[in-house]
Amino acid sequence: MNNYQLTIKVDDKQVVLERILQVTRYRGFLIHGIHAEVNTGTQIGTVVLQVHSERPISLLIDQINKLIDIKEVKVDNDVTAQIVG
Amino acid sequence: MENATLPQTVTYTGASLLFEVLQQHGVEHVFGYPGGAIMPIYDALYDSDVNHFLCRHEQGAAFSAIGYARAAGKVGVCFATSGPGATNLITGLADALADSIPVVAITGQVPTGAMGSDAFQEIDVFGLSLACTKHSFQVSDVNDLPNVLHQAFAIALEGRQGPVLVDIPKDIQLAQIETTLEDLSQLTNKVKLPPANVGSAIALLSSAKKPILYVGGGVGMANAVDELRAFADTTGMPSVSTLKGLGAINPDDEHYLGMLGMHGTKAANLAVQECDLLVAVGARFDDRVTGKLNEFAPNAKVIHFDIDTAEINKRRAAHASILGDLKVNLPALEIPLSIEDWQSQCLAMKRDFAWRYDHPGENIFAPAVLKEISDRMPDKTCVTTDVGQHQMWAAQHMQFQDPSDFLTSGGMGTMGFGLPAAIGAQVSRPYDCIVAVTGDGSFMMNVQELSTIKRFQLPVKIVVIDNAKLGMVRQWQDLFFNGRLSETDLSDNPDFVMLASAFDIKAKQISKKSEVTDAIEEMLDHDGPYLLQVKIDAKENVWPLVPPETANDKMMESTHE
Repeated sequence: MNNYQLTIKVDDKQVVLERILQVTRYRGFLIHGIHAEVNTGTQIGTVVLQVHSERPISLLIDQINKLIDIKEVKVDNDVTAQIVG
Repeated sequence: MENATLPQTVTYTGASLLFEVLQQHGVEHVFGYPGGAIMPIYDALYDSDVNHFLCRHEQGAAFSAIGYARAAGKVGVCFATSGPGATNLITGLADALADSIPVVAITGQVPTGAMGSDAFQEIDVFGLSLACTKHSFQVSDVNDLPNVLHQAFAIALEGRQGPVLVDIPKDIQLAQIETTLEDLSQLTNKVKLPPANVGSAIALLSSAKKPILYVGGGVGMANAVDELRAFADTTGMPSVSTLKGLGAINPDDEHYLGMLGMHGTKAANLAVQECDLLVAVGARFDDRVTGKLNEFAPNAKVIHFDIDTAEINKRRAAHASILGDLKVNLPALEIPLSIEDWQSQCLAMKRDFAWRYDHPGENIFAPAVLKEISDRMPDKTCVTTDVGQHQMWAAQHMQFQDPSDFLTSGGMGTMGFGLPAAIGAQVSRPYDCIVAVTGDGSFMMNVQELSTIKRFQLPVKIVVIDNAKLGMVRQWQDLFFNGRLSETDLSDNPDFVMLASAFDIKAKQISKKSEVTDAIEEMLDHDGPYLLQVKIDAKENVWPLVPPETANDKMMESTHE
């Protein structure tokens, strides 16, 4: 099982957070941490997701990038190390 | 003079503006079913030039919109009310998502103030849409409506196509808006993709000794049939097709080996298993194509053409990926190849494993009937199917000149698709012959749409391949569940000829080989709608069959001799 942290920049549009959560679950990633906030000046939101899965993270990044309101997805390499159990 | 050039500001209701914008996007026909929360839209329809086709179930409306979109290469539009109307659309939207069909679905919603109160006929269709649309909108301000609708059409069509839902609360439909219709030529919405990696793909192609062209539904959607056929001609590559790709390769191309996968031809599957290069074009290595994934085309390197980045390396790693428009990218790889030995080997397999239509006894052999319909149907006939044995027999034994001539539910495999899809196809192509090939199980799933055919006198030809069974499930029960035939008997089906006559549709039942030719001629010569019920032996199976989680060269074959 691999741990990953994704930092996702989004347009602050309807249900964008629900869309990210739905895709993350459907594509086989479990969420064990989330932080989300919107910059009310720029109307750009930042969603930080901590996820784990046996699947490669590129699968999830590609699918999140397909969502219409996504501006950028970055994966934080510092937490991609294998964890025990 | 000034007034003639200035755009006019007009007062609309949300509902009347909807029709103005639909017409801006070239929408002539919509499919739908009214109800309480969409009544302002149906009231505005009364004054609109848009033609509405009243279906008899919202699922029928969604599938008709899909059939319309696929047969015409346009966006299909469907309407439904809130609550059950919206939930009845969901299967159609899921089907459109799985098969990448551009559909815009408009749903009425309870008034904004009532939302979230469990109001009558309220469902959170916006929430439901997340898993079954490419994108969705809920309009909270009538001033947003024009831009939301423009975006809905753009998103449905751009990149990998798909369904978009727009949920409009009743008060927004009634609200007034003073606006000027936007000039659509000013709107741009293009997918940006990185430059294609053509260099490494050309190197792979040049060095291949046994390449195979693996053609998917993306070719038709990219409107790249001509470019694909030019690529096949120049390279001389033997080719295979997915279910959704049928019609892209010219069926008379001598190097075309037919459909691959679970019910593919033996030649196609053996060639793919032996190839050293697989050129996948608008195809996604679906499990029905690959069989056991890690034994699929085990010796092949892969060049993958697609519009969707997420399909690259999803199920099979690509040695070279070419993202973007097939119309641009296919010609870039169009180079002649020296593969005569491989061509000869594939031609020999094609000859040795050609379909056989000799069949013992007087009972009708469904593959032979479908081949005969295919041979006799006029040019530009569009065939729709439902899902099951008849679908695979149609894919195996009928020939199509273009992907828009074969409409079937591929990814979702939705029974009930064929009849309403044929309605949509007939609306979009009123002068072409439309044949709905269905099974006795699937037919009953949206049989109410016979009423739509009657109302609009659509000359759809319906061929019911009737084994009084859920045939494909029965086949699997016989082969893989020790013959325990659980809930697959449909011998109490209604009399389909009498049923058709109740909708003023001419119908005939046949059950002997000697009746086939005359019945097909009568059906095709008939001016109006026609139902031909073809009774077949309940024990007939679809062959070949690659069992689940099995390599494609280990197919089961017919025991008929």
